[in-house]
Amino acid sequence: MAAFAEPIPQKSQAELLYEAQLRRERQFRVNVALSWLALLLIIIFLFSGEKILGIKTIGLNGTFVRENWLFIAGGLSETIRISLLSITLATFLALIAALGRLSKFPPIYALSTFYVSLIRGTPLYLQIFFFFLALPQLGIVLPGLWAGVLALGLNYGAYMSEIFRAGIASVSKGQHEAAMALGMTPGQTMRRIVIPQALRFAIPPTGNEFIAMTKDSALVSATGFVHELMWRATKVGRAQFNNLEALIVAAVFYWILTLILSYFQGLIEARMSKGDR
Amino acid sequence: MKKLLTLVSLIAVTALLLTACGGGSNGNAKDMLSAIKQRGYILVSTDPNYEPQSFLNTEGKRPSDTKCPSDALTTAEMQGFDVDVAKAIGDDLGVETCFATPSWDAITAGSWANKWDVSVGSMTITTERQKVLDFSVPYYYTPAVVAVAKDAGITSLDQLAGKALCAGTSTTYETWLNHGDIGLPASSIYAQAPANITVVSLDTDQECAQAIASGRKDFVGYVTSDTVVDANIAAGMPVVKLGSPVYSEDLAAAFDKSSALDSTSLRAEVDKLFTKMHSDGTLTNLSMKWFKADLTQAPH
Repeated sequence: MAAFAEPIPQKSQAELLYEAQLRRERQFRVNVALSWLALLLIIIFLFSGEKILGIKTIGLNGTFVRENWLFIAGGLSETIRISLLSITLATFLALIAALGRLSKFPPIYALSTFYVSLIRGTPLYLQIFFFFLALPQLGIVLPGLWAGVLALGLNYGAYMSEIFRAGIASVSKGQHEAAMALGMTPGQTMRRIVIPQALRFAIPPTGNEFIAMTKDSALVSATGFVHELMWRATKVGRAQFNNLEALIVAAVFYWILTLILSYFQGLIEARMSKGDR
Repeated sequence: MKKLLTLVSLIAVTALLLTACGGGSNGNAKDMLSAIKQRGYILVSTDPNYEPQSFLNTEGKRPSDTKCPSDALTTAEMQGFDVDVAKAIGDDLGVETCFATPSWDAITAGSWANKWDVSVGSMTITTERQKVLDFSVPYYYTPAVVAVAKDAGITSLDQLAGKALCAGTSTTYETWLNHGDIGLPASSIYAQAPANITVVSLDTDQECAQAIASGRKDFVGYVTSDTVVDANIAAGMPVVKLGSPVYSEDLAAAFDKSSALDSTSLRAEVDKLFTKMHSDGTLTNLSMKWFKADLTQAPH
């Protein structure tokens, strides 16, 4: 029996070009990763406290960092909790405000624009204190966490309503007309046709807002009742005269947190853009 | 789309569940003392920025059976002289002691909206504060001193004229620097603030010391309690005390005048306890433990 020789697979010109392109892309990613590593090493060197080649660097109290990083990290769960609660409230408010903005009924339109204008026109720091100090006069004494969530949610809701409005506006008029032709009511059109398409535009920037909010949650610690990352860092830092070290430890945790969130945002963005081709 | 909605509502429900166990109500008792006994804990405000008066115990584990509200700390998570005194009040009333940690200026401003019952935070009794707060008898006394940067080359109070000095916001040190009335008896005030000084007010006294230690030159020195400067020096900060104390403060527990609950009976109870702790040496022992000195004897 004569064995048939396997034909040697011959790659087409197109396949070769495609592989070369893949190699270049891979090489680019490796180089980017190496450069990141180099930048990270430079930062670590800058905080080493050593004087190398005549370059002055920032010295940190290593003992303080070793003894307190775990305590400061204990605030992570509170930071994540505030952020999750606030983004939930903000998304809800943003959707309502965006729909209000598209309303043809003047009082509703006015309410929506008034809310956005008032909230965007005042500092978040001030709003956090407002809910903490003003509401008790109405007999509503919110725990620190809820005062913070209310302020963050209202604040980010105002900003995000613009994102949602743009998302809704991006759905072409033809879609409305087609829905109408099929006999859908305006409510059905909104629910079944417009909002699902608008979300595709709105979700990636919402992720971006969530990342920003995670860091703004540090402001909530100002009232003193929310024992999150920043609060823990400032308290142990002050009592032991190592504010700088404590803040840098907190900075590292905020950074790690946002790196993780950015990764997930990248995944969502990739998924949402699939339909674009 | 359905999946997404389910996901969003799941997140919302989880978030709600996570926080469902927050916040408590005060009951309906008019008298603060009976309200405290009824709920089983006293909520004490203290500012955990100061070692050895009041600071966090970073190794402390919150007991699982605590009655303290979720945004308050337990005795296991706090330590210091003020914390021990607060604990003694709770023990005396037979209730758990819990700590609220608002910022210092929120405590001295009054109008606590019943967010906490009493302040045990080394607060100086002043006439200004007496407008919004009621005070107990003093539980200890601290001298206020001026500290300056080692390299500033300043050796007397007079040399500070025209210079910038630092103090924590809403402290008596800030008032003294501004030549304001700190509301202490004349016998307790030993010196006036230097002339033409610029006052820099930072969040707490600790920021003043750290600003100098980090090499900033915004001010040459700061005013704070003798005990804080001792702690600063012990931590290796490049500062020295400038001469003798400038005044002496009577430090006491404080109660909010605008409270919806009547604090009269609680105040009487705390006064009785402090008097007893002064005479049986409990306060002296606590002072020796945390300050290595007896600060419980009245200076005037």
